[in-house]
Amino acid sequence: MSSQITELTFLEQLARRFDLPVPGHVNAMATRSRLRNAMGRWGGKGVVKADIMTGGRGKGGAVKIVKDVQEAMHQLKKLSSIEVKGKQARTAYMTQFIEAKVQIYSAITYDSKYLGPSLTLSLEGGVDIESVGPEGKRTIPVDVFKGLDAYQVSEVLMELDCPKDFVSLMSRTLVNFWDMFITTGMRMCEINPWHITADGKPYACDFKAIFDETNFKLKNPDIQFPEYPENVTEFEEQMEEWNAASHQGQAHVSGLGGDMILPILFGGGASTIITETLEIAGGSPIFLSDFGGNPPYARMYGTAKRCLDHNLDKADLLLILGGKANNTMIDITFQAIGDALVDWVDENGPLDKPVVIGRGGPRMVPGFITMREILETLRVPYVIFGHDSPLTLVAEYAAKLAKFVREKKEAK
Amino acid sequence: MNAKILAGLLKKGDRVAVSNITGREASKVSVISQAYANNIVGGWALGKGKRSMDVPKGDGIPVFPTCAKLYQNLPKNKLPNKVIIYSPPTAVYGEVKEVLAHGGAELKTLFVITEHVSIEVTAKIHNLCKEAGVDVIGCNTLGVINTHDHVRVGAVGGDMPEESFVKGSATIISNSGNMVNTMATYMLTGGMGTHMGISTGKDMLILTPMVELLKLAAASKETRMIVLYVEPGGVYEKEAIDWMKKCKFKKPVIVYVAGQLTEGRDVSLGHAGAVVEGKDSSASGKMAMFDKYFRTEAFDPEKKYRADAALASKLRKGMRVTTLHHLPEAAKLICRALKMKPDFPVKKQLNLNPWFSNFRGLAKSMPSELRIDHSEIPEPYATQFAKYMKESVGLMPAKRKMKNASHASSLVGEARIYGYSITQLMEKKSLGDALILYWTGDLPKYRFESKLVEMSLLAALTNGPGTISAQGAKLSASAGNSPHTAMIATLASIGDTHGGNGRQGVKFMLDVFKGTDLKDPYAKNCGVDPKSLAQETARNFKKMKDASKESGVDYKRIPCLGHPVFNRDPINYDPRERAISKAIKDAGKRNVFLDFYHELAKGLRDVGAAGKIWAVNMDAALAAIWLGICWEPLMEKRVTQKRVEECAFLGFALGRVAGGAGEFLDHQDFNTAMDMRTPASDCVALTRPRELE
Repeated sequence: MSSQITELTFLEQLARRFDLPVPGHVNAMATRSRLRNAMGRWGGKGVVKADIMTGGRGKGGAVKIVKDVQEAMHQLKKLSSIEVKGKQARTAYMTQFIEAKVQIYSAITYDSKYLGPSLTLSLEGGVDIESVGPEGKRTIPVDVFKGLDAYQVSEVLMELDCPKDFVSLMSRTLVNFWDMFITTGMRMCEINPWHITADGKPYACDFKAIFDETNFKLKNPDIQFPEYPENVTEFEEQMEEWNAASHQGQAHVSGLGGDMILPILFGGGASTIITETLEIAGGSPIFLSDFGGNPPYARMYGTAKRCLDHNLDKADLLLILGGKANNTMIDITFQAIGDALVDWVDENGPLDKPVVIGRGGPRMVPGFITMREILETLRVPYVIFGHDSPLTLVAEYAAKLAKFVREKKEAK
Repeated sequence: MNAKILAGLLKKGDRVAVSNITGREASKVSVISQAYANNIVGGWALGKGKRSMDVPKGDGIPVFPTCAKLYQNLPKNKLPNKVIIYSPPTAVYGEVKEVLAHGGAELKTLFVITEHVSIEVTAKIHNLCKEAGVDVIGCNTLGVINTHDHVRVGAVGGDMPEESFVKGSATIISNSGNMVNTMATYMLTGGMGTHMGISTGKDMLILTPMVELLKLAAASKETRMIVLYVEPGGVYEKEAIDWMKKCKFKKPVIVYVAGQLTEGRDVSLGHAGAVVEGKDSSASGKMAMFDKYFRTEAFDPEKKYRADAALASKLRKGMRVTTLHHLPEAAKLICRALKMKPDFPVKKQLNLNPWFSNFRGLAKSMPSELRIDHSEIPEPYATQFAKYMKESVGLMPAKRKMKNASHASSLVGEARIYGYSITQLMEKKSLGDALILYWTGDLPKYRFESKLVEMSLLAALTNGPGTISAQGAKLSASAGNSPHTAMIATLASIGDTHGGNGRQGVKFMLDVFKGTDLKDPYAKNCGVDPKSLAQETARNFKKMKDASKESGVDYKRIPCLGHPVFNRDPINYDPRERAISKAIKDAGKRNVFLDFYHELAKGLRDVGAAGKIWAVNMDAALAAIWLGICWEPLMEKRVTQKRVEECAFLGFALGRVAGGAGEFLDHQDFNTAMDMRTPASDCVALTRPRELE
């Protein structure tokens, strides 16, 4: 389940509930007569958009202005299966075309500068906010307890030289925007652009939001998160579910598309550094993983089993690597990984791929003994480094060893 | 901030309280922290309390049911000024409000260890603490360590904080908790110890940003160098660099920026806060900002640096490293260039040092650069490994929750023992086979082993009605109990002195045999000479016995020798043991442990420790049987030593409990009620009657 949503979900589920003005819309399943009626109401002009989980839809050809029903139907069909930046569209939909006198950018996010929420506004809506200079945008902190009020917004809009006639309604509308942000447990929310018509009516014309998965408000049953066709493997899907199943120990993986090293890594920092080193050294890691956080035996076993079952067959080397743990029990995690390895061998036959291990931390000595006994029992080639060997050097070594194993395999 | 220098975050004399102290992680960490710093004055856990948490070193930690009770009940001089929040994510907000409500003016710093706290709650904690004038480290911090004052909060340094954190002058500030520990270890090889190790946490909002910590570092004379571990996300580094530029920060900084691999790809890092929003918060953006601040390129180990004024001017602000293992070399270079004296002389280089390796067939074709042999394991680990290997005969299982789990039995389709179907076992195997399987996890290797187990069960059934276990059954029958109660009475009447000698026998023989090259205890030529082992054991026993007698103290007897009945001849035998020995011989085998016992009985007489050859009793046979069955799995660390010891005892207990049932049935049929009672007239009063005043 994704915790991000885009415009179509906003139009269907949130806009009306929070009284946020939006253009009329129809989805790709609409009949010809419904499309005709809609376009008739909208003055004969619509915008067909792909529902896709990525930015840059316009540049990627996933947004088309249409002027008749035939064209609308054609574009709805075409954009339903378009791909932008490697992401596939889930469906397509058509919105009313809103002629804008002014375009406004708005975003609410938690801000590391203010250590709380902040509102960013710009009158240069419809473009990437990063490309707008400091004079063209304003960011103000929002008190997480008191919330956002229309006076604060109006001050910012005035500073930005917003046409005065638009200030009042826009300010009140942005208070609703805040209400949606805070009551649904969002981490970031952007409406870009707002189209303000000549008569001063604002319309939210594009939308994206990321929810905070640790906020209980996300469990609000009224929000249905659509599934987007993603290039995720069955393994990644399983791991996402497994990771969400418990907060005892991390079970985070992120696919990298590699095919040489199966990395079972520990610690958010260490896993990042190791993965970077593996990539630079040509080790082609299959994924980035973080399995730290002192997982209990069952959690670690489940994680290791899933990793091995899905990936060990294609890998050239198994890497078990982390820094010097503060909290994670090495004997428990190694026993669990070792047991998963034994099960893998039971189910798949002998393992002749090398295992490279580097670790330090509480109960390392019994952990190393356990792992060595298991590797000896399974007759697997291995090398075990203690925490006096830097993890970046161990990662470089693993990459070289994996390349050697790959070359040997290819030579056969 | 409340703190004005780094030690303001944590120093000697600070009084620490821990929330949810009985939780899995908090309890474990608190025990180690108390041994290291002895700074925890109390803790609380909802619904628990009115007790003290015992710690092996340091003061016991009183546990209260609530935060309020802790503040109400601790003496004034022990009221905490530092609080660690270890509560689950959903409880954190409530805990922080409680702490702020009761902490009063005493409270100076809050460390929120909990991971997965929502950003909204984190922002609220920031507001509340700011208003209350309390510093917050976290959320998702691992804690803080101050080596100069030998104090820590949280788990920084793991279970051996002193190993990584040696008193020195580098302060480590890291988004990653693990990297605080890892970088401190690496810095030691650069001759630099640590002043403070600070895990800031790596959620999206870091409530004590880097700039605030650098301000404290600037004011801390103990800190001469700063080491930073940085990840993508947030404007913390930008703020810090702007401030360092503005105030002309004087202390050199070494920074490592991780996370560039995510750029232009749909890859998420493990830390929640590693979300790039804007180019200045990306890894490459941060690298560029630091390089611009340092006005020098990142450390290059291939480059020949000349320690002249130009280099000193360049490195005055510090430099970036591109990989973590360059950290100590960069630190050494900075020390050299700035004429800073390292904290201590460098003893060891940072390089690859495999502790164990076995490349098997792969080694033959591997290029020499990859074929690294295992080298010296540093202390104290070398000693610990040696100790473990020597002492730990058998498997050392990692402990886990076993409530609804079992290796021994399962119900997959039908009842199973270690995976084997009960019905198949019933059809194809004997009771002895099944018992060995259930108790050791494997079917017996040899058929005669099952026979021996069955014989030993039979032998254990009875040693006459006068044994205390038989008396237990009879007493229970006499009182009118049900058969199972009588069987419990039988079991309750056996122990280390009666029936438990087999367990002692296993322990004793393991001490003798564990250093030998024994592979197969049944082989004629097993590589161990039981006679010489026995003679050596007998001589040692004699020495110990003489010394004990001379100094008038009791001495430890050799278990499983002697019999209450068969003890009158110059050479004595227990007939049950003889039957076992014969069965082994009939199977064309030997049992080296049993042979050893016979040699020992002789040896003891020969050295004068015994006047005759004592009988090797049935307990010795039981010990030898189970040790024989388990020797191979024990050496291959498939079973624990404890399990083998227990098998020898259980072999007796199982037989004897069936014997107890026999005594019960007999007694129940023929007894007169309470016939086991001893009349008062036959009892002797050893205490004179006394009157209460």
